[in-house]
Amino acid sequence: MTRRVSITRRAALLSFMLIACVITAFPILWMVATAFKSSDEALQTPPVWVPGHPTTDAFSAVNDVIDIPRSFINSLLIAGLTTTGILLTSLLAGYVFAKYRFRGKNALFAVLIGTMFLPPIVTLIPLFRIVTQLGWDASLVGVIVPNLANAFGIFLMRQFIAGVPDELIEAARLDGASELRIVFRIVAPNVLPALAALAMFAFVYHWNSYLWPLTVLQGNEQASPIVISLARLLTYTGSAANTPQVMAGATLAVLPPLILFVILQRFFVNTMSRAGMTG
Amino acid sequence: MRPSSPRTGPEDDQWRGRGSVRRTSRYVALLLLAVCALVVAACGSSDDDKGASTASGGGSGDKVKISFLTHWAPETVRAFERVTAAYTADHPDVEVEIRAVPFADLLTTLRSQAGGDNGPTMASIYDLWLPELVRDGVLSRAPAANAAEVTKEWPANLAGAASVDGSTYGYPNEVDLYALNYNKALFRAAGIADPPRTWDELIADAKKLTKKDGDRITQQGFGLISSWAAGTVHPFTSLLYSNGGELIADGRAALDSQQAGETFDLVDQLANKEKVSSAQMSTADANTTGPYLENFVSGKTAMIIMANWWESALRAGMRGRFSDIATAPIPVGPSGDAPHSVSYSWLTVVNGKAGEAEQRAAWEFLAYLNSPESGEEGHSAMAALLQSMGILPSRTSDLEAYRGDLSREFLKAYVEELPNAKPFPIVLGGQEFTESLQRNLEALQAGQMSAGDAQERSQADAESVLETAAG
Amino acid sequence: MRTARQNWWAAGLLAPSVGLIGVFVLIPIVLTLWLSLHRWSTATPFGDAEWVGLRNFDALFSSALVGRDFRQALRNTFVYAGLSIALLIPLSILFGVIVHRAAVRGTTFLRTVLFATYCVPMIAVAIVWSKLYSPTEGPVNQALGWFGIGPQPWLSDTGTALISLVFLNVWQQLGYFTVLVVAGLTQIPPSVYEAAALDGARNVKLLFKITLPLLRRTLLFCVVIALINAIQVFEPVATITQGGPVGSTNVLTYHIRQVGIERSQGGLASAMAVTLLLALMAVVTLVFALMRKGDDR
Repeated sequence: MTRRVSITRRAALLSFMLIACVITAFPILWMVATAFKSSDEALQTPPVWVPGHPTTDAFSAVNDVIDIPRSFINSLLIAGLTTTGILLTSLLAGYVFAKYRFRGKNALFAVLIGTMFLPPIVTLIPLFRIVTQLGWDASLVGVIVPNLANAFGIFLMRQFIAGVPDELIEAARLDGASELRIVFRIVAPNVLPALAALAMFAFVYHWNSYLWPLTVLQGNEQASPIVISLARLLTYTGSAANTPQVMAGATLAVLPPLILFVILQRFFVNTMSRAGMTG
Repeated sequence: MRPSSPRTGPEDDQWRGRGSVRRTSRYVALLLLAVCALVVAACGSSDDDKGASTASGGGSGDKVKISFLTHWAPETVRAFERVTAAYTADHPDVEVEIRAVPFADLLTTLRSQAGGDNGPTMASIYDLWLPELVRDGVLSRAPAANAAEVTKEWPANLAGAASVDGSTYGYPNEVDLYALNYNKALFRAAGIADPPRTWDELIADAKKLTKKDGDRITQQGFGLISSWAAGTVHPFTSLLYSNGGELIADGRAALDSQQAGETFDLVDQLANKEKVSSAQMSTADANTTGPYLENFVSGKTAMIIMANWWESALRAGMRGRFSDIATAPIPVGPSGDAPHSVSYSWLTVVNGKAGEAEQRAAWEFLAYLNSPESGEEGHSAMAALLQSMGILPSRTSDLEAYRGDLSREFLKAYVEELPNAKPFPIVLGGQEFTESLQRNLEALQAGQMSAGDAQERSQADAESVLETAAG
Repeated sequence: MRTARQNWWAAGLLAPSVGLIGVFVLIPIVLTLWLSLHRWSTATPFGDAEWVGLRNFDALFSSALVGRDFRQALRNTFVYAGLSIALLIPLSILFGVIVHRAAVRGTTFLRTVLFATYCVPMIAVAIVWSKLYSPTEGPVNQALGWFGIGPQPWLSDTGTALISLVFLNVWQQLGYFTVLVVAGLTQIPPSVYEAAALDGARNVKLLFKITLPLLRRTLLFCVVIALINAIQVFEPVATITQGGPVGSTNVLTYHIRQVGIERSQGGLASAMAVTLLLALMAVVTLVFALMRKGDDR
């Protein structure tokens, strides 16, 4: 059966999608355009849509207010180390939940998965006190360590590792391979797309995470990730004349997760549909 | 070996080769190592910090590290860093670090650091927060010499604001008060010669200065700030004081007075009855800037009651048109005798949980920072920092040294009104009390409540907040 | 022998994640429950907490200021969540169906653009949208003007501030939910549609008769995730509105943090957190119950 789509319907669909794209992309385009405006243009009413004389003044001014390189390193440390930790802990725990049998397994799994639905604010205050008691307040350690394992990662890994054939694992065991060796040599390579998706998800989430670093770091600028620095930038450039600087800072902050997304998006979409999380 | 599964998509294939398996596991192992190394290094470094501070307590040759928490803007922080550099050049055994957070995060940061080891040694705080910080036992009492200096060198009311139950807890630095700011160009256009001196004149002038497009206000006669506790409550308090009223008298909420009732009525008149004030044009954002500032800067607000410290924001926003702005005393209400602005101050305190050596070094540093020794021409370095932001210093000798600068047109009315100003009441629960009054005033300004209801509810809320805080 | 060795391995491999989640999630939950029954200043050690029974909860449901503020924040949070879900779910179905089925090129591009917004930090979203909403220099009011719609107050009016925040949430999350819907759609076998097409069902009818019923589990998952995400709203409130005007954007994550840390009333804030948790569990149970009822039919 041939699929006939009339020209008019195609045109309607295409223009609908075009409009949707424009509306969706507009805030990001506006942010980038404003970053290249002069402060006079930023103040004009009606607003200037495209900067007449694009200038990078705003970008150089940002670094006078916040330490951009330092913030990027901190964000990379937070997102990178947290993601690595999540990948490792999720892989190990997911393997156990998928391939081991022991008493209480399902109960333990249910308790862990329950924490996936917990709004962070519910535990924020005691968690903050615990971190303080450990002497990790105002430091990156306090931001990173409590997030090194999470229920979503364990759930995702269990779903995918369950699909790795038992025979592969049994064969390796007969060869005398240790369990760690099996996890990293046999299991991990078989679930790499899922690991890539989890990596993207965790990296973006922790790059963007705001409430927890704000609470733990208490104004320690040396350890501030870019999102905290961005709030600081907004504060100290309050007048509307400084909008280009704020937008320049926001543009820089958005780039890393966006680039990572463009690279890894196909894994993410495929993983989502195969994880069985959608029924 | 070739990829075996024909069902996998192309993106799966590229991961399947044996070589890549070995490579990946090596990467994973490397990453694992890196994580461990970094975590150990990070833990280690925070331990080192603590080790250093305890060692320095023993008087060995190690440096004493002290830190200063403030909400100042980056350019002020940089100027401050020059001061600390000069200090540490003379005191090689001391290292001073400056930590800056946005104003909106300052109290939270102070509160959350209270139980920890890594909190700042010194902090610049709003006087209203002092009683609770003292109650929680997180502040260091000033040593006798520092306390004596504060009592001797500062005006009595400011030294008083830096102490609780007779003990001094810090060095007062800035003092702020309110006045009526108005746009002379808009006054000329409306044919008004002088700023209003009474509430009746205020309403009459505001009516002439308001422009509407249908129901929508395009130029407001008077700006009633909202979405910011001090910005809403302080102008109200200034009007209340100028009508002979009080917020809190003898430790009890005093918003049930006739004077307070008249002040709530005035707000109701401006916002709802005469509609000379637009709720949307005077909101503030988390940075204590926002529409209320933008609209005054762009000539869409004719009058507003604001503090002296916003001069620098006005200058930056208005540039050439800054000369349009003039300052006048707070208009006096029917039951009042004279203008009385509310005043408040900031002070620098020392963390009582810091090590003994740090506390000692911090008090020494603060004595230097606030003394004529640290600045030029008789003023202190602290006063120079405050003046660079357009803020009034408070030490008697600093006010003297800056007399010339303080007589510039914008500041003159503020400085002249300083002796008539009355402090905002400093009580336990002061911040929460301010926020509860803010809520009710905003509801009144938005037309959600009548003046009578707003007054009644404000009094009831204030009573419950003060009672809970004291208990 | 074999199982003993296996159990040791299981324990060892689970130790990192169970240990971390235990210390940093489960223990704090227990502490929150325990603290909610105490009067405790956040600046002091846990040991200083003083038992008060249910007094904190009494305060939350009293007519005093504490209770009024809390209930307003609770209401705002659920209104925000409800509006977000009401907009997100239909829009993500619409875009999901288009991305999944449309025989036009460019759907992948649309998906990429849609999903890209999900990667933008919420703080940047909040900052950009606060400028877009600006009453004077903002492009949103300008664009509305082209269609003859007068300037809107957006974030500065009690009536519109919360919905303005909902819009920016929907903008940021739409791509994520569209991808979830697409993922759900790919699991519906094409044969189902072919059979229905033979019966002469047309597009819109297909959507309601076949696609939506088969997507129910996906959509349920979307609703729960959107609800949990909406409850976490913090950045735009903390950096732009501070809960105002007149408390109209005061939401629980912001309010609990303010009470528990800025005001140091840790016991009261924990009681708020527990109430939020109970309310959330009630809503999720209700959603599941509704679905089961649908299944029985």
